[in-house]
Amino acid sequence: MQVFKAFIKVMRKKLSTAFIYIGIFLVIAVSMTKSGQNPAEQVFKSVKLGVVVFDEDDTPESRTLREFIGTRHNLKELEKDTDVIKDTLYMGMNTDIHVIMTIKKGYAERLRAQEYDDLFENYHIHDSYYSILVGQLLDEYVSSVRAFQASGRPLSDAISDTERVLSAETKVTIRKADGEQNSEETSPLFDDYFRYLPYILLSVLIEVLCPVLLAMGKKNIRYRTNCSSVRSSSYTLQIILGSTLLVVAVWFVFIIAGFGVFGMFHGTAWFSLLNSFLFAMIAVSLSVLIASFNPSELVVNLMAQILGLGMSFLCGIFVPMEWLGEGVIRFSRFLPAYWYVKANEIICGKTAFDGRQLCVYLMIEAAFAAALGLLAMVVRRTKYGRAAQLA
Amino acid sequence: MFLHNLKYELRTALRVKDLIFWLILFPMFLGIAFKIAFKNIYTNVAKTAVIPVAVVETQDDPVLHQVLEAVSNGDDALLSVQYVDADEADRLLEAEEVKGILNADGRLSLTVLQSESSIYEADVEETLLRNFAEQYNMTNDVARECIASDPASAQAVIESLTAEIKPVTEVPLTKGNPDFMIEYFTNLLAMVAMYGSITGLHITIQNQGNLSKLGARKCCSPTPKSVSLAACLLGSMIVQTICMVISVTFLRFVLRIQFGGNLGLIYLTSVLGGILGLSFGFCIGSIGRFQTGTKTSICFGVSMLCCFLSGLMIGNMKGIIRKHVPWVNKINPAAVITDSLYYLNIDSDYRRYIVTVITMAVLSAVLILLGFLMTRRKKYASV
Repeated sequence: MQVFKAFIKVMRKKLSTAFIYIGIFLVIAVSMTKSGQNPAEQVFKSVKLGVVVFDEDDTPESRTLREFIGTRHNLKELEKDTDVIKDTLYMGMNTDIHVIMTIKKGYAERLRAQEYDDLFENYHIHDSYYSILVGQLLDEYVSSVRAFQASGRPLSDAISDTERVLSAETKVTIRKADGEQNSEETSPLFDDYFRYLPYILLSVLIEVLCPVLLAMGKKNIRYRTNCSSVRSSSYTLQIILGSTLLVVAVWFVFIIAGFGVFGMFHGTAWFSLLNSFLFAMIAVSLSVLIASFNPSELVVNLMAQILGLGMSFLCGIFVPMEWLGEGVIRFSRFLPAYWYVKANEIICGKTAFDGRQLCVYLMIEAAFAAALGLLAMVVRRTKYGRAAQLA
Repeated sequence: MFLHNLKYELRTALRVKDLIFWLILFPMFLGIAFKIAFKNIYTNVAKTAVIPVAVVETQDDPVLHQVLEAVSNGDDALLSVQYVDADEADRLLEAEEVKGILNADGRLSLTVLQSESSIYEADVEETLLRNFAEQYNMTNDVARECIASDPASAQAVIESLTAEIKPVTEVPLTKGNPDFMIEYFTNLLAMVAMYGSITGLHITIQNQGNLSKLGARKCCSPTPKSVSLAACLLGSMIVQTICMVISVTFLRFVLRIQFGGNLGLIYLTSVLGGILGLSFGFCIGSIGRFQTGTKTSICFGVSMLCCFLSGLMIGNMKGIIRKHVPWVNKINPAAVITDSLYYLNIDSDYRRYIVTVITMAVLSAVLILLGFLMTRRKKYASV
């Protein structure tokens, strides 16, 4: 086991570097989970937007309207500053404020005078459903007040009658799609953690494993090993053993961190372990493949980012798969992270639990790991074969 | 002596081909990946589209036909309507060809499909359909109630309900590019700038006797360390500037990313960002006597963390940081670079942009100064 011992020795030397990456990516993994966007609101009636209402009129009528908007949406507070408004609305997709409006000064006076145009201002970066949604509500409110006023009621009565009429619920039937179900064994935090894990595993394992493999594959060391009595197959096996040990240790650190955040897993959640382990194996094969080309450590770092970020954006890790175009999804089928995400969607209950389908996805991941591993071995054999001839 | 050192620094930098090659190729690969991934997101998610809906009538309602025709015609049409029977409507809903079924039997009711995989916007579309049904029912209720209480006012009530009013005025906030996906590309530029820290790190490696043979030779040469370091810094800044200019040019003219704002200032910001990244690496490299590998890992790791905090992986991260620890965004180099490009795009004046440019310049100066202070008078008894 001399090669294995040498591997461990090199690994121990690189441990401080590995700890830096593991530490930083642990912070990133946990922060990602805690800040998860969880954009999928599941209950129809719970679609409530964050609405900021600046009440410039500050009359009983405007306050009543503000309260009415608060019954339909979540009222939020915000500093009335153009820069703050711009910053908030530009990221409207991701923050809890979606619409910012003003009840203009003279609102009550103008209603009394039966003037109904230009009562509100809606701050606007681009057209969005959010603005339409709140615009519809205001149209509805003003139209109703106007109609009640036209029937001869004073403004105060028109407003209270409007609120009464608008409080009548419209019947909405929600039909469940066939076969779909919620997974009660995972939580949104859990889903987020395992959604982001492929990026973390890919980045960390390439950054941690490649330097060790590169050190073991240095030309002089390789030449010495080639002329030693250690057989090539034994050498490869010992390297695989050492790599597996390192990978399992790193994977274990992130799983333990997962236990720390979510507690013990239940039911189908255990499949997440298998899914992430298979992806870790893919990351190992990829690392071995990259290391086979003997790049510099700097290039390894950049490759890790290109592969990690590229795959994450193309396969629905950082942005939901529903947001990606059909062409992108067709292309991402050739990437292993796509199958990880598909399996994760089944495990987290985002799509119907289908054990057979899950097995297929897991087997595709295993096939990716094996194929990349084989490719790495072919590359190594070709390169080292040439090195042996030279030696 | 300075020019001599500068010449050789530039020649050395050009010989580290793989680093330069990858620093230039890296944003190209990721830029293409982003471009492909985000191609339709803005139109799919943020902008409004016509909502397909099936209408099932159990009794003929000509008023409903008129209303539906009004909202499904024109450039700003809200709905695309199909009049079908109940079975066909169910099939369309199951196949997700329509967002909902409007059932008209005197009052409007809505049927939607609760799909676990539906994204947030889809629910907003359903809510819009519910609001439409609600508005229609409300109009009927109000008309019925008003006419019942005062039949003489029937004409006025119907006129007031059907007349077009425009209570909401839209106030546009920017003339820039409103596509929030641009943030990912500005973050990519910030990442390239931050990876300039590796170039900065090389300066210290080449000047520290315990880290490189070249450093050992330089340490015992008669050239003052300050001159040698300044020449190295300037040479690396030139190389980093070239990398940044190529990155911006590729993103802007090959991938046609509309960053918004003045193009010259976008180049200026990126170049300043690159210098900031380089200064960051120079400062980190000057700390202590760690090995090259450790310093490289710190540079890559911290750069990655800075980019993560400025929203490279999760778009709303900068917003979260601004809410909870706003000072982090002010000193995070990646956040300062992305903020600068964001202000160029969104703001109509340069007030906030100038602040970020000054911040970049001051941060760079402070980091370089710290680097110099930590490097000076470093002596090696044996290397």
